[in-house]
Amino acid sequence: MNFWEKVSGMDRRWIYLLVAISVIFPMLVVIKFPVQITPEARQLFDAVESLPDSSVIFLTFDYYPSTLAETEPMSVAALNQMFRKNMKVVTMTTVPLGGPSIAERVTRKLAEKYGKVYGVDYVNLGYKANYVAVLKGMGSSIEAIYPADNTGTMLKDLPLMQKVKNYNDVKFIYVVADNGIIDYWISIVNAQYGTPVGAGVTAVMAPKMYSFVEAKQLTGLLGGMKGAAEYERLVNHEGNAIRGMDAQSMAHLLIIFLVVIGNIGFFATRKLRRGAQG
Amino acid sequence: MTFFGHFEIWLSAFLVLSLFSFLYKDNPFYKMAEHIFAGLSAGYYVGLIWQAVIIQQLVNPMFDQGHWWLVFPGILGALMFARFFSKWSWISRISLAFVIGNTAGVFLISQLHGFVLPQVVSTMISLNPAQGFAATLSALVIVIGVISTLIYFYFSKEHTGILGGTAKVGIWFIMISFGAHFGYTVMGRISLLIGQVQFLLFDWGGSIKQIF
Repeated sequence: MNFWEKVSGMDRRWIYLLVAISVIFPMLVVIKFPVQITPEARQLFDAVESLPDSSVIFLTFDYYPSTLAETEPMSVAALNQMFRKNMKVVTMTTVPLGGPSIAERVTRKLAEKYGKVYGVDYVNLGYKANYVAVLKGMGSSIEAIYPADNTGTMLKDLPLMQKVKNYNDVKFIYVVADNGIIDYWISIVNAQYGTPVGAGVTAVMAPKMYSFVEAKQLTGLLGGMKGAAEYERLVNHEGNAIRGMDAQSMAHLLIIFLVVIGNIGFFATRKLRRGAQG
Repeated sequence: MTFFGHFEIWLSAFLVLSLFSFLYKDNPFYKMAEHIFAGLSAGYYVGLIWQAVIIQQLVNPMFDQGHWWLVFPGILGALMFARFFSKWSWISRISLAFVIGNTAGVFLISQLHGFVLPQVVSTMISLNPAQGFAATLSALVIVIGVISTLIYFYFSKEHTGILGGTAKVGIWFIMISFGAHFGYTVMGRISLLIGQVQFLLFDWGGSIKQIF
């Protein structure tokens, strides 16, 4: 058995080990690969930055805990920008598992950092089932859909929500999502109510979203951990995404190397296979 | 950090490692972690829906605010449970008919108004060279890509001659699109691994350091 045959028949667990090393090593030895800012991330940042201070902005936590590595840094970076600009932030989620508690944890932590008051500077609406009805219904009345916030306080008792009755009172919707809900923010809220929508999505979803940016249905886009790292750089907040990018780049280099080796091995052993077949 | 904080991190780390152990081979630790996740998710979901929908949107408005008409959607919801009884299961079709009719109406507008029309409009772009080389090239790629890909999916005529040649160009665009999707998918999966490794190295590692 020659070298290429051995490579072709290698136990996949060796590849898992190599990937694990490529991810762990850069976390212990910081390399600092450069993070370039894409026009889509810049567009999203500028859209939020250009809003007047104290504007009401929606920030959604439409993601499950399984994608926290990609999505949470986006929410954290976005909240840093919004609170720094003294915006009034309304958070919500259409994801039942994890969404409400992640929104609560992240907003409370950032609000404490910037000295923001719950009910006045920010409100967490929490979760409500049936996202199509929720998105459509909030166009008429947010209170009809969310009579109470995440902790059960009635919306009529929260000063911020006295000014926010429906999408007309919201300047921008910043969606962070790991699922198809983003399609409905675009097709229901942006298309039918005209409220600008920007999005941070997981890498798996990102390619599809570029066509919405091109069609101006999305105002800016962040794709995966790379997008989150770009936003962290834009808001000058070094978080988990920037810290994870070295590992991401190393793993990508390894995968490119394995793809090249795998293909060379395939072609090198093809002759032998054909010979064996007769 | 409190005892509970340490316990939470150690429990999470144990479950993460149990799930990762599947990469070596299937084992009881993996199975246990998988079942805990499935059971917890189901329980949490039921509790959340009960509070956020049944209590907040049905019971409270009916009894506290006198919104008595909510009894009708409440009955429609309850009828769905008729599916559990074979003799009465046909009743659930009333609720299903309402859901299907409502969904079709909402989606018809949102798909047409939100996706089809804006996407078609965004492909009707100027190819005038006066807008600059880069913009013209980008517009040309979009126009050629859309037309050739649509022709690839036109199956009413055999793909020969000009039609066949254009369809082949369409295949190239589709393949490049698949490549972009695959590349992004790899990036996404590696990101998830990075998230868990960050947790194990820094959160769990920090807890180990603090305890020992």
